[in-house]
Amino acid sequence: MNRIGRREVARRIFAYEFNRSTHKIESKEEKSPIYVLTPTGMRCNRVFVVGVLLDKEETRPDTNFWRIRVSDPTGVFIGYVGRFQPDALETLLEVEPPELIAVVAKVRHFEGETRSFASLRPESIAVVDSDVRDYWVYETAKLTLNRIKAMEKKSSEDAILAWQIYNPDLEEYRSIVKQALTTILEPVVKVREGREAEEIEEGEEPEELEELEEEIFEFEEEEWDLSDILGE
Amino acid sequence: MDKIAELTEQIVKRFKDSGFDVDPKEVSKRLNLLIHEFKVPESEAVRTVTNYLMKELEISREQLVAESPLVKVSDITSPGRWVSLKAKVVQLWDATSPNVSQVGLIGDETGIIKFVIWTKAGKGEVEEGKSYLFRNVVTDSFAGRMQVNINRSSQIVEIDEDIQLPPRELEVVGALVAIQQNSGLIRRCKLCNRTMTKEVCPVHGKTEGYDDLRIKGVIDDGENFYEVILNEDNIRELTGIGLKEARKMAEERLDRNAVLTELKNSLLGRYFRVVGTRGERYLIVREVEFLKQDIRELAGELL
Repeated sequence: MNRIGRREVARRIFAYEFNRSTHKIESKEEKSPIYVLTPTGMRCNRVFVVGVLLDKEETRPDTNFWRIRVSDPTGVFIGYVGRFQPDALETLLEVEPPELIAVVAKVRHFEGETRSFASLRPESIAVVDSDVRDYWVYETAKLTLNRIKAMEKKSSEDAILAWQIYNPDLEEYRSIVKQALTTILEPVVKVREGREAEEIEEGEEPEELEELEEEIFEFEEEEWDLSDILGE
Repeated sequence: MDKIAELTEQIVKRFKDSGFDVDPKEVSKRLNLLIHEFKVPESEAVRTVTNYLMKELEISREQLVAESPLVKVSDITSPGRWVSLKAKVVQLWDATSPNVSQVGLIGDETGIIKFVIWTKAGKGEVEEGKSYLFRNVVTDSFAGRMQVNINRSSQIVEIDEDIQLPPRELEVVGALVAIQQNSGLIRRCKLCNRTMTKEVCPVHGKTEGYDDLRIKGVIDDGENFYEVILNEDNIRELTGIGLKEARKMAEERLDRNAVLTELKNSLLGRYFRVVGTRGERYLIVREVEFLKQDIRELAGELL
């Protein structure tokens, strides 16, 4: 298993933390991957996310370039799927939101004039059931707590770097993890026949998170122009 | 001055280990000249002095025991390094070229790595299951993977230790994040079992083939990834699709890829518990099942 040019591990991260990851790590070496450093000191290039596809919309009619919003219990991931992600596009076109999906995605990092943010560029999308979502929330919670502990010990270079850049309030991230775990422990209310009603749980999101979505939505407009130019 | 003393000691020791006495004063004088007066880099100075002494004493490179650092298999991450390692021969393969005397896998408790003994090296043969000290071998990368090459300056010494290998069976829990090329309903060459593309075997060209069902995929637990191979039995257990069903599906839809699409739809993004044997690159799966966990209990532990 001694491989060079290793595949990047798909990291687990909640939307709340992902949307606060603004720092890009770029090495000077050629062809080396670009990472986004998260507030709990993890560098990620690829992520695995399980959440609810809230909506998909073409950025402009007939471009076949889609903007998707995927929600976990803590917030919303923004992603873009185009013709260069054929596997993800194939599934996406067949899915009608709201629907639970598992997404393997590369992390993209945009630098705007006033601020920067991270988004997803899905490699593959699959429709899954709520057992997968529950395990993902558990797993992501566990790994996030591990990172928080590493931050407290300042045990890695990336942890130290994250302190310098974000100076995070670790209690804030702890409470987000708790909140996420609590949502999967709550009983599921079935609305649609034969399916669990994810959209009900989403309705319970705190208002603060709704605001967050709005912010990203506005901000995204300027980025959309960029990708359009690149895409042509 | 400390540096000179250190390097001198290093050179003297190297010759002494090989059974030759050299004058430390002479060594340090030459090093001093090269390093401090001529500003030659240290490593070059050491090499030059060593070569000089070898010529002076009329000894060949083979007689001189080089001190390559003793490493573990998992430490081997970059090509072009001289290392020594204690390892057990895991498997011998058929040599594909007359230039290669032996080729196969060796391993220690930290991992398994491919090795090549060049015919030119003129070494005795190693045996499967025995442990050896491989002294002065060179690390190399071939087709994107690390290996070690045994050349003329290397030494292979059988040792009395029984080197432990990494646990052959491994249990992994993670999500299937990718299904790679050559998965699904594939054709294999009847002569060598290699996968064929468009009815062409990479070795035997256009020959007869047979159908097989397999998945090459990646299981990822958020901290590590494992490349796995699922065979027909594994796939049937998970999805109810065996070779027979897969063939039927391909015939009905006039598309062999329909099988792969179906497998992707039912397996990608799901969590699995996998038990398998570690190969050089892939985990050969013995048991695989959809992960069933009591989330309430697990989540409760974290809260």
